[in-house]
Amino acid sequence: MGLIHTPSLKLTRRQFLTISGISGASLLLSGCGSPLFEDVAGAISEPLNQKVESFIFGLKPQKLVPEFSVSEIDNKALIVNTFRNTPIIDIENYRLVVDGDVNNPLSLSMAEIQKLPLTSMIIRHVCVEGWAAIVQWAGVRLRDIIALAQPKETVKYAYFISADKYYSSWDIASSVHPQTLLAYQKNGEPLPIDNGAPLRLASPVKLGYKQSKWVTQISLVSNLSRYKGYWEDQGYEWFAGL
Amino acid sequence: MLTSGIQIYNANPVFGGRAGLHIPPIFALGGWLAGGRHWHFAAMWVFSLNLLWYGIFVLVTRRWRHRYVGLLDIKALQKSQNPKRLTFAWHRIAYTSIIPILLFAIFTGIGMYKPAQFPWIVDFFGSWQALRIVHFATVPLVLIFALVHSYLARKVGGTEFTESMFW
Repeated sequence: MGLIHTPSLKLTRRQFLTISGISGASLLLSGCGSPLFEDVAGAISEPLNQKVESFIFGLKPQKLVPEFSVSEIDNKALIVNTFRNTPIIDIENYRLVVDGDVNNPLSLSMAEIQKLPLTSMIIRHVCVEGWAAIVQWAGVRLRDIIALAQPKETVKYAYFISADKYYSSWDIASSVHPQTLLAYQKNGEPLPIDNGAPLRLASPVKLGYKQSKWVTQISLVSNLSRYKGYWEDQGYEWFAGL
Repeated sequence: MLTSGIQIYNANPVFGGRAGLHIPPIFALGGWLAGGRHWHFAAMWVFSLNLLWYGIFVLVTRRWRHRYVGLLDIKALQKSQNPKRLTFAWHRIAYTSIIPILLFAIFTGIGMYKPAQFPWIVDFFGSWQALRIVHFATVPLVLIFALVHSYLARKVGGTEFTESMFW
């Protein structure tokens, strides 16, 4: 009896753990030096992260971020990151266009912008790469420009188009934060062309890649298109709040 | 968390900036900066919720009263001749010290993720650079912990002890 033995295929607990351990280790090791589904990790976690980020920001959307003293300004720490070339802008013909879902579309010259109230702030500029620099920016509050354009009730986002074809988009709450500026001065001097002259975004509440330089057009819109921003469309986070 | 953190680190090394000390990309997860950030900010939930769950478990089961290093362990290290008691004391030091290390990793991480919301975290460490260094210090500290832990476990039970985890 029983000349033929069929080996049991049942896994013991230890065998199961062994196999899980080995396959888990191989999964982890194969990830070394590779993307390993970073797009999936982003697709799964980013919606949650974005909700948490905008929730934290929304608790006190007008709260001022503490500023720094003049002696803390670090002039050399601010690295210039430009995605393409530095554009050539004729300041006489320059216009800032504000359009989209607004009752009063604008086309402002630099002279007109400089007549609006000047706000100065010394903030920490934080780059997605990990470095940070304490910079003084001065310019007009973006909320003042938005108010002039009289946005419709439905407006939820702002698109920023730059002279070098760079583009980005913000949630409206961060756009009307009192420290979100369209700056034309840096560290007490006229804004250098490399830093985005004549007009750039500057804010302590967003990462550096959201702070577009050489802004020529602001579109206030009710919905985001499938193009959310130059870096955002490549895979960087859209909200990117600080 | 470690490997995706190294990916982020390499975008602008904490030590020396762009021209500074890069870590070989074989240790980096994510492929590029955005990918490293995706992994880092996905894994932070698993890591921090896991630590929170452990904290609740330790409190509810009252393990905190006798699982961590105490005065008796320090005394034992000074006086005891019993090798088992000595290893036990070192083990408790290792397991106790890893907890603040992991908590500091979260604390400094929140400070870098949301410096405008929690500016006092950056102030607590004095500067942005100091905050980055403390956050990065998690990498060598966790690696040292892993080595000490495995050395102590082998000292207690040898390879049989390690193998008993698998078969």
